[in-house]
Amino acid sequence: MNYSELTLQYFETAAGAGVLTGPDVYRGAAGSRAQGTWVQFDLQVSGGIIHAARFLAFGCPHTIAVSAWVAEHAGGPLARATLPERVQDLSERFAVPMEKRGRLLIIEDAWVAAVNAALQR
Amino acid sequence: MLRPVYLDHAATTPVDSRVAAAMAQCLTVEGEFGNPASASHPFGDAAGALVETARAQVAAAVGAVPSEVIWTSGATEADNLAIFGVAQYYREHGRHIITVRTEHKAVLDPCRELERRGWRVTYLAPDSGGVIHPDQVAAALRADTVLVSIMQVNNEIGVIQDVSAMGAVCAKHGGARLHVDAAQSVGKIAVDFAELGVDLMSLSAHKVYGPKGVGALLVSRRGGRGGDRGRVQLTALQFGGGQERGFRAGTVATHQVVGMGLAFELARTAPPSEVERISVLRERLWQGLASLGGIFRNGDAKRSVPHVLNVSFEGVEGESLLAAVRGRLAVSTGSACTSALQEPSYVLRALGRDDILSESSLRFGLGRGTSESDIDTAVAVVTRAVSRLRKIGGT
Repeated sequence: MNYSELTLQYFETAAGAGVLTGPDVYRGAAGSRAQGTWVQFDLQVSGGIIHAARFLAFGCPHTIAVSAWVAEHAGGPLARATLPERVQDLSERFAVPMEKRGRLLIIEDAWVAAVNAALQR
Repeated sequence: MLRPVYLDHAATTPVDSRVAAAMAQCLTVEGEFGNPASASHPFGDAAGALVETARAQVAAAVGAVPSEVIWTSGATEADNLAIFGVAQYYREHGRHIITVRTEHKAVLDPCRELERRGWRVTYLAPDSGGVIHPDQVAAALRADTVLVSIMQVNNEIGVIQDVSAMGAVCAKHGGARLHVDAAQSVGKIAVDFAELGVDLMSLSAHKVYGPKGVGALLVSRRGGRGGDRGRVQLTALQFGGGQERGFRAGTVATHQVVGMGLAFELARTAPPSEVERISVLRERLWQGLASLGGIFRNGDAKRSVPHVLNVSFEGVEGESLLAAVRGRLAVSTGSACTSALQEPSYVLRALGRDDILSESSLRFGLGRGTSESDIDTAVAVVTRAVSRLRKIGGT
């Protein structure tokens, strides 16, 4: 399979991979390794602001690359439980094939779960 | 840019330079470009002589006689000719075929097509090492069985089947003919068509440093093991000139068969030390990867050809694993990638691997050009990729 340059860049660097710890860290996960795609986000939130984000991802290069991009662009107000960019826009940004776009919904679910955990603190 | 280390010799091999040179001699006006079927002038005679020399070379490499060699475009066509040819010829005797779940698609797809046309097919399940036992074949034989098709060396896991024992089972049955796909065998293990007692054998040139686009089907003229049940018969699948004794019409591609003949000759005369060298390199690769932990060797190592190592890596996703190594390493996944989405390898699933481990496998195919340095590079690249992906995946 061919990947876009952006996909390869984020897949190969995967900056932001890991976990956060501490009282102001909120976690959300979605998917299943047994099903082939699993994503987890940790958000460090205080004063309604996301200060840091980390991710773990078991999945294809697109899954890892998009998760890394989302974690990188996560900083800012914790206003709503939405991704920094819509799934449709992310799929175009990373040239995700149509048949793999369901995996972006797993990323969105993990993100929403993490944000909701922070909003419900 | 550095070319990746090539460890995909089970998929194809580079054409030996001596083979390429011999092929080139059959193409241009300075060489033997004639139609080998043209008996009316020296151009045809010369090309025809080269074709027959090649036929003898192929036969000698696999313990056959030249008249048993039918040229084809490759092992896939040979498999199709064997399966459809036998099924069609013996259709009044029976419409049952036995094969194995881990066969190449070139066998499985014709069998499925025959099922659509009304034949019955039994798909034998291998044990966890990929081995089919002769008593499984014996138990599956029916009065209406006309063909058993079993590959000698599996293309994904390298496991060698005891086709000689299966030949004996078929001979005892009497009506069932044995077809063996030996595309992965030549040059790796000794192949003796007569000794094995099989009726039909498919061969390929490009797995043995010969060209793509040429292969052969061996059709026994001895009546199989014991020679007491009559020669196997086939119905031809294509018509239009009567070449290859009517089994495969069409002008024989002189340069292709000359290439295959020389490639098989070189394989036959290669020093046995080369097989030992490859075997040592494969164990170096396995031992190097073993330090990762969470890896599984697919296929019974004691019954495997030396040039194939198939490994599943726990805690990584298959597509990402391949993407992580592809810049430095040319290998295959264990998967049959027939679509944009990877499908788990049906071969590994048949061995009992779950979908995730079936997807997260790599097949390393070693060959003549593989060096210790290549193996050490492969170990380093795969170790880094797996470790990194496990960290990203939190496993």
